[in-house]
Amino acid sequence: MAQTSFSDEIAKNKRSSLLLAIIVSLILFFLIYFIIYLLIPELVLIALPISTIIIITYTYSSYRFGDTVVLSATNAKPAQAREYQYLRDTIEGLSIASGIPPPKAYLIESEDINAFATGRNPENASIAVTTGLINTLNRQELEGVIGHEISHIKNRDILFMTLVAVLVGLAAIISHLILRSLWFGARRNRRDNNGIMILLLIVGIILAIIAPIATRLVQYALSRKREYLADASSVSLTRYPGGLASALEKIASKNQGRMNVSEAVSHLFFVDPKQTSLDSLFATHPPIKERIKRLRNM
Amino acid sequence: MIPWIIGGLAAIIIVIVVLLLFYYYNRIRILYNRIEEAWAQIDVQLKKRFDLLPNLVETVKGYAKHEKEIFEKVAKARQGMISGSREERIESSNQLTSTLKSLFAVAENYPILKANENFKLLQEQLEGIENKIAYARQYYNSSVLSYNNIITTIPGSWFAGNRTKHAFLTIPEEERSPVKVKF
Repeated sequence: MAQTSFSDEIAKNKRSSLLLAIIVSLILFFLIYFIIYLLIPELVLIALPISTIIIITYTYSSYRFGDTVVLSATNAKPAQAREYQYLRDTIEGLSIASGIPPPKAYLIESEDINAFATGRNPENASIAVTTGLINTLNRQELEGVIGHEISHIKNRDILFMTLVAVLVGLAAIISHLILRSLWFGARRNRRDNNGIMILLLIVGIILAIIAPIATRLVQYALSRKREYLADASSVSLTRYPGGLASALEKIASKNQGRMNVSEAVSHLFFVDPKQTSLDSLFATHPPIKERIKRLRNM
Repeated sequence: MIPWIIGGLAAIIIVIVVLLLFYYYNRIRILYNRIEEAWAQIDVQLKKRFDLLPNLVETVKGYAKHEKEIFEKVAKARQGMISGSREERIESSNQLTSTLKSLFAVAENYPILKANENFKLLQEQLEGIENKIAYARQYYNSSVLSYNNIITTIPGSWFAGNRTKHAFLTIPEEERSPVKVKF
């Protein structure tokens, strides 16, 4: 039965990724069309080929290079030194246990305990951990966290979560561009007050559409079910719920939200990188306490 | 009219049966291949270990010549690891694991050996391989479980033919109990 539910999960994640790509392509198409229409109405005919080219480039590169973007946005460096042999061994061991090729190991310089996985498929995947995680967690705890990330890779959560990260980052840039184009557009049509009003209205509407969609996407990518499932599959790999539970306990008491990462990638992480031991009220991630409780009851 | 209906129904049933046959034949084959792939993973680790051991023995010999008994045990288990049936090879590997434990315990008596960089590196590598063998064995056993499940439960068992249950790799008794630390 477990086998079926995992393959269901994999199929669902592939569908979500495809759906996301289609929706984003459509939105981008209309956005580019609008921008060209507003800025240079004479060239509206070539808007179609331009937006097609941009969309294909965007979709392909976020699929192909999304992991590179995410790794460099979080300042992750390859963990090649001999002192990280143990980390690489743990990653390789757990990937053997789950039957996927070994992901690449990356390191983030931070005292907080955290980790994430990214990539487009199990053959092209990476796991990044913080130096704080390596220095603080013992062997069983490390295995628990790595097992969680390996499960994200195996269940194909990573492609969807990476696509969302690239998209949310891009949405921020686009809304910035729109505001700018509004400014230049406004200067062009200075004599035409009505035009400015219409422009403002359209931009307002577009922003109003994008913002909640982006938030929704991040929330969906963060779905609690996904995290609980990864916790559970981690335990089925390590056969020891206590390890992951005590890793979460250490995180709850030691993390201080010291990681300097953008909102666009925060949903990828093992626990919310901005969260401190104090505030759990406004957390977007599943509450650590609840995760610990479930693990302790296994 | 009625013969047509019966004929049509028979045709539909035959098509369904053939499709099921294809599905389960492939499914069983895929799960069987997964066991073979899982064994290949174990094999890789056993060979890596096989290649590392002479270096380790040479390094230790340089400092602790008279521990002959342990060297012989290591050599015997090392050979057993790459010949014989899967069960025998895993058995040799398990023996090697405990022999290595006593070898490293012996090394504790030779401070110069313990401080040797090469020795430390080999020890780390061998421990890493031991863990990977354990993980690979876990994957092997879970693959065997999926295979055994499909060929023994309905409807998979109808299509399994004369296939029999695959054997699990047994886990040595000592690994099941928690390690006791003595001072």
